[in-house]
Amino acid sequence: MNTEKLDQLFTYVQERCLWQFFSRSWDRQENIDGVLNTATDMLTGKELNLETPMDRLFYADAKILVADIRQRFPWIEDTGAAQIRDLMQGLKERLVDYTITRSLNGELHHSLY
Amino acid sequence: MPMVLLTCDKDIPEREKHVYLKVEGEDSRDFLPISNAPTIPGTLSERGCSFCGAKLVIGGVLKDTIQMIHGPIGCAYDTWHTKRYPSDNGHFQLKYVWSTDMKESHIVFGGEKRLEKAMHEAFDEMPHIKRMFVYTTCPTALIGDDVKAVAKKVMEARPDVDIFTCECPGFAGVSQSKGHHVLNIGWVNEKVGNVEPEITSKYTINFIGDYNIQGDTEVLQRYWDRLGIQVIAHFTGNANYDDLRGMHRAQLNVVNCARSAGYIANELKKRYGIPRLDIDTWGFNYMAEGIRKVCAFFGIEEKGEALIAEEYAKWKPQLDWYKERLTGTKMAIWTGGPRLWHWTKSVEDDLGVQVVAMSSKFGHQEDFEKVIARGSTGTYYIDDGNELEFFEIIDLVKPDIIYTGPRVGELIKKMHIPYINGHAYHNGPYMGFEGFVNMARDMYNAKSNPLLKLAATDIRGGARTVIREAAE
Amino acid sequence: MGCVITSKERAGVINPMYDCQPAGAQFAGIGIKDCIPLVHGGQGCSMFVRLLFAQHFKENFDIASTSLHEDSAVFGGHQRIQDGVLTLARRYPDLRVIPLITTCSTEVIGDDIEGNLTKCNQLLREEFPDRKIHLVPVHTPSFKASQVGGYAECLTAVVKTMVTHKVAPTGKLNLFPGWVNPGDVTLLKRYMREMDVDATVFMDTEPFDSPMLPGKEILTHGATTVEDIVHASGALGSVALARYESAPAAKYLNDEFEVPAHVVPTPYGIANTDAMLQKISEITGKPIPDSLVHERGLAIDALQDLAHMFFANKKVAIYGHPDLVIGLAEFCMEVEMEPVLLLFGDDNNKVKKDPRLLAMKERVSWDMEVVCNADLWELEKRASNPDYPIDLIMGHSKGRYVAIDNNIPMVRVGFPTFDRAGLYRHPTMGYQGAMLLGETIANTFFAHMEFNKDREWLLNTW
Repeated sequence: MNTEKLDQLFTYVQERCLWQFFSRSWDRQENIDGVLNTATDMLTGKELNLETPMDRLFYADAKILVADIRQRFPWIEDTGAAQIRDLMQGLKERLVDYTITRSLNGELHHSLY
Repeated sequence: MPMVLLTCDKDIPEREKHVYLKVEGEDSRDFLPISNAPTIPGTLSERGCSFCGAKLVIGGVLKDTIQMIHGPIGCAYDTWHTKRYPSDNGHFQLKYVWSTDMKESHIVFGGEKRLEKAMHEAFDEMPHIKRMFVYTTCPTALIGDDVKAVAKKVMEARPDVDIFTCECPGFAGVSQSKGHHVLNIGWVNEKVGNVEPEITSKYTINFIGDYNIQGDTEVLQRYWDRLGIQVIAHFTGNANYDDLRGMHRAQLNVVNCARSAGYIANELKKRYGIPRLDIDTWGFNYMAEGIRKVCAFFGIEEKGEALIAEEYAKWKPQLDWYKERLTGTKMAIWTGGPRLWHWTKSVEDDLGVQVVAMSSKFGHQEDFEKVIARGSTGTYYIDDGNELEFFEIIDLVKPDIIYTGPRVGELIKKMHIPYINGHAYHNGPYMGFEGFVNMARDMYNAKSNPLLKLAATDIRGGARTVIREAAE
Repeated sequence: MGCVITSKERAGVINPMYDCQPAGAQFAGIGIKDCIPLVHGGQGCSMFVRLLFAQHFKENFDIASTSLHEDSAVFGGHQRIQDGVLTLARRYPDLRVIPLITTCSTEVIGDDIEGNLTKCNQLLREEFPDRKIHLVPVHTPSFKASQVGGYAECLTAVVKTMVTHKVAPTGKLNLFPGWVNPGDVTLLKRYMREMDVDATVFMDTEPFDSPMLPGKEILTHGATTVEDIVHASGALGSVALARYESAPAAKYLNDEFEVPAHVVPTPYGIANTDAMLQKISEITGKPIPDSLVHERGLAIDALQDLAHMFFANKKVAIYGHPDLVIGLAEFCMEVEMEPVLLLFGDDNNKVKKDPRLLAMKERVSWDMEVVCNADLWELEKRASNPDYPIDLIMGHSKGRYVAIDNNIPMVRVGFPTFDRAGLYRHPTMGYQGAMLLGETIANTFFAHMEFNKDREWLLNTW
């Protein structure tokens, strides 16, 4: 995987996206998976399934994310589907590492809000 | 050397865990300030109490509701005339505050009868008002008055009134934050789902975590109106009590202040399956992004783009005029918590302003994760900053302007640093496109105030003021 | 016709007139130099009071909190008192006085304040053998009295704790003005200078109005020093200008150290100022100087232009601290206005027997109501009643909407006056204060006449 491209995507998400910083670990995981899966589908031309309210929520965030990625990182247009999936998988893993696994936030795992 | 022990803190070394200086190559997995932790006594902390987090910040905004404060007089007096949240009904919520005015005998024998009497009196004196919040305070919590039972009794006696009780003594938690939490959770437990709102649009949202500071809510409401989106409840800017009882019917919760009201959004998601969308409403770039997301959710992107284009055409030239003049300004933010992460990038992107130091009174680590991710290197991130720390930080980063409260504003005035009211604004609203122009204007006016130069002039020195003689 | 003295009948309060006891104690505490009050209670108890002071003075004042949290509410706040005192002592090397101000919560919990301070004194002696920090226990549960009593309580506690023995005669006068503005303190100090009387003001709040300087110094703090306080026992007398705020401290000095206490009428208006000056002249043997006779003449001259032309028969509602309200009512009567409603904001029933009030009761030839333990809803109900004409409201900013919503001219006076600029700088006491107040009242009437088109043409030729 191209770590430079991953770094770019990661830096962008950290700076711009509030969905990675919800209060509890399960919400963060759900958002990271949901938004980035939808974004991956969009970047790789897959048809989206927007049936549930949560699908539409992830779409709303992913749509902005994809538009910004296309605008800021023109290399994405020349990147193949398999590589995009790899990159987005890498992005997911790094976000999970930063915001959940190795987050120092002591409130992430409280069972209640 | 990321966590910093300031010189003034040498006698309270635990403060090192609360002050972070971001340097290149570090992130919040390495260092994250301790926050929402007990305050060190005697530090001249800026924190308020749990009661004020519930009453002053959230509940007191409601424009049709009696705010009955069960306690001695000070709790009522002090949370009255200390906020700038107007309403469209003549500012009922700014004009009045209610207290049971607890005296020693009620402390000794219990205050429930007193509370019941005061509640009836309040409804009798203002017969057009049918809704009430009751708050406990330190002493009424300590003596264990059962306010819920009293509220039930009053509601039984008056079938047309509805009462919400909030048990938020000032000693609970470590700051205002606890009061936000208690009110959020109490409300969703007891009141949401009680009223079925009238649905007037295909698109419905709750707008959560905006308190109509200087009319913020009204600016945003105009956007939602133009987009054809019905706001079932504003939590709680310019809101009616019953609006908030119908929150379960919205399709989407749009959240601005995640600190004070993220809880209710989370609970509404858990209990009613309503998705939570967090946006930033201060800043052009952010506001446009927020509108785009909401519109994408509803599939009304074109309407959103039209609105954004219109607003940009109207306000962007003014913003750019200020940006040209503000670029390079060094700003510090000493407020509650969320405005740190809401503002740090928006002032940088939209105004060319660099945020060099930030202090949060009641933010949690989540807020520090957000702000450290968004903020610059070389910037200080401080939890529960105190007065001596502020002096030292000012010396270290030399800000040109500080966004903070009016009292601290008076302090830094002496150091010739202009302040902008970071809580209640100078001349707002600050949200939305026009709001951010207001914020830029206030910053520019503060910074270019000629008095600052005059203040710095020592007339005893060699410099001479130019004398222009009168015309012949 | 006549004066009726009653109390509010409701149990609850709608729009309080006063803050609670700890707020008053904090105000007295910040009047001392090198002093940071430490409020033992929840953080809001000091946080909001600091904000209130900042609103009124447009200045910052340092007040600390023990930051009571839940564990202390259960197990007691002893450790937090000690931590608070030591943290302050360590981080503020010039600190010399810490009033420890209790609140409702810590009084209910029952923390042993005196015991804790004894322990603190011991810790301070060990850590700072060359430094003396005065720790003053101030018991101000919020469920007793109000900011008025809290001010008196702190002032008395400071005197009780710090004035420990009879010092050699100083020839000075102890002057206790009560809770007044820096403008009043400046005026009183000038009067003493002009009378050649060496007086110490408790508390000297003159620097609460402080400058922006080229050197960026921060000079916003009280000016009454530890030495001033310690030497109060050697004074030739104490003059208390406020019966409800400062008389108890003067009385204590009288009882313990035989410093004669004189409680004089609060010097609002001409006659009350006369009485104060005459008393001070009598105590000190110093004559009233020509300069004050001149100033008195200027004030009377100015008021004479206004009284029977504009002020006569105007019905006035007054609320605020009791000494202020009574003094202002007396002033109103001097200039032919009719105080029709006096509101006092706490349950101190001694006010009902105040000799000044009883004297007024004998004199009034119109309907007059005095409501004790009142809130501002009592004012609002009357002000919005068409059968209860009020031409002028005098009081602090918390009642501003009563004036605004009922279109009644209002003159801001007392504390707080955050909705007008700079009022703290101007005296209300003394001849100059009476003159300024009369002129402010007149100008308020004039603006009201103009914006309401109410005989504004009168002023074409005035």
